[in-house]
Amino acid sequence: MSILETNGLCHDFGGLDVLFDVKFEVKEGERHALIGPNGAGKTTLFNVITGTYKPSGGEVFFKGKDVTGFKPHQLVRLGMGRSFQITSTFTWLTAFQNIRMGILSKRGIRFNLFQKIDKMRDVTEETDRVLKRINLDGERNIPASMLSYGKHRSLEISMALATDPDLVMLDEPTAGMSKDETHHAVELIRRITEGKTAVIIEHDMDVVFSLADRITVLHLGRLLATGTPEEVRENQDVKDAYLGEMEE
Amino acid sequence: MNRIFRWILWIAGIIILLLYPWLFGIYDTNVFVLFAIFALFAVSFNLLLGFTGLLSFGHAMFFGVGGYGTAIALTRIEGLALLPAVGIGVLAAILLALILCPLLVRVSGTAFAMLTLAFGQLLYVLALKLRDLTGGEDGVGGFPIPPFTIPGVVSIDMTDPLKFYYFAMAVIILSIWVLWFFTKTPLGSVMVGIRDNANRVDYLGFKVPQTKAVILVFSGAFAGVAGSIYAIFQNLISADDAFHVMNSFAPVLMTMIGGVASFFGPIWGSAIFAIIDEVTTRYTERVELVIGVILILVILFAPMGFVGFYRIVKEKWSSRRSSKATMEVSS
Repeated sequence: MSILETNGLCHDFGGLDVLFDVKFEVKEGERHALIGPNGAGKTTLFNVITGTYKPSGGEVFFKGKDVTGFKPHQLVRLGMGRSFQITSTFTWLTAFQNIRMGILSKRGIRFNLFQKIDKMRDVTEETDRVLKRINLDGERNIPASMLSYGKHRSLEISMALATDPDLVMLDEPTAGMSKDETHHAVELIRRITEGKTAVIIEHDMDVVFSLADRITVLHLGRLLATGTPEEVRENQDVKDAYLGEMEE
Repeated sequence: MNRIFRWILWIAGIIILLLYPWLFGIYDTNVFVLFAIFALFAVSFNLLLGFTGLLSFGHAMFFGVGGYGTAIALTRIEGLALLPAVGIGVLAAILLALILCPLLVRVSGTAFAMLTLAFGQLLYVLALKLRDLTGGEDGVGGFPIPPFTIPGVVSIDMTDPLKFYYFAMAVIILSIWVLWFFTKTPLGSVMVGIRDNANRVDYLGFKVPQTKAVILVFSGAFAGVAGSIYAIFQNLISADDAFHVMNSFAPVLMTMIGGVASFFGPIWGSAIFAIIDEVTTRYTERVELVIGVILILVILFAPMGFVGFYRIVKEKWSSRRSSKATMEVSS
């Protein structure tokens, strides 16, 4: 069964077609990698699915429900989480407070005005559990902006999972990381997406082939191929797209 | 130890507040009431600037509507009791916030500053033009000030400055406590999240505009409390007192000077303002000149205001002491 499905999805920025007739499908429980050369429209596809932009055409179905044009918070409440390519945490807040925001949302604590947040023991405990799981318990009280790059990225990825989504969309989780940091990040992603569905934009082919159950290739805003890693590896169009880029 | 020390500090503070009129006399008591009113006004303002990242250039509109609401109610309704009169002022401020919030919550940054400035000026003009209601340039004054009554228990005359001092302090401290509690609630932490990264708050499943609306109503309501107490204290509210653009800048300056990154910063700012005002007027009329110079110095040398400056000094002091200690140990 597919948890996410797009039908004829189009998006353009003032006449410039960035996505054209994209039919993208993610099956429940799989790790799905979205790859493609620079400018292929991967992040735009993410933005259109997760509600940053309204698509200019086509439909998005999440858990069988038409969610085209839904706002990000609506999609999060339906069980979609997202992390960003450019780290987007609460930089002045501590690692603990960052994760706690996700826990509050998950528990539906949004307009509570009658309780001190520090006295909500179960929220604190759950946040600490998450921090421990992502190896940030040592950095609990450090502002996000003071974390090392690798740790900051881990926080970014983990925030998307703190709301306990069924589908998590990770936009280049290993962007800008060293080999060593990438290795840790891949382990983290593998661990925290256990039992969930994940869509991952990734450039590093080692990461893609080690993580993904299925791969979709996007090129110039069109869907080029989709299938298992072996299928995609052997696909002639994909080879052309990547080789074509190299020739330029 | 630290906890006990803090309790001692609190108790000492309360005792000083209780004895203040006897220690300093009635003139300084009135200065203190004015300081406290503006402290509440500035704290309510800082809920927007310091905690939500919204710079309002028209916060005086809530202060003014609160003041006019109370003043007009006391003029028009015969036999109105004190607390309901304050309540009417606060309700008027809440109503204004509710009317404006559909527009204000959609914008931030410069657009928010300009929109609030525009609405603030609009209310200034309205206060001047709607003569039947607001008395035009004369304002609303000389209204009867009812005693503070708990039916069947007490009736305290509020025209006595000493008794009014206690009433004003009770209302203001309670209000500041409510605002402080507000920043500690889950909604308060979402509020800080909006300041840091509104987009991510959306992507964590919170409704940003609705949250901002709640904050705006809270902030406006307590600015209304400050305005209402101000009107009763002066027994007068006029367009220049209430809605003038300088009255919108006052909390901005107090917050900048006191420290934007701290809840209590604006209170310090208001205190510094009151002291400067008292000292300078003995020598010159040009209070703004002195305030201006101080603002420049603060922005250049202590951009986090008085509280930020204090924190840096304290940190330096303790690190020097600890490095001294380690030196002694190593030698």
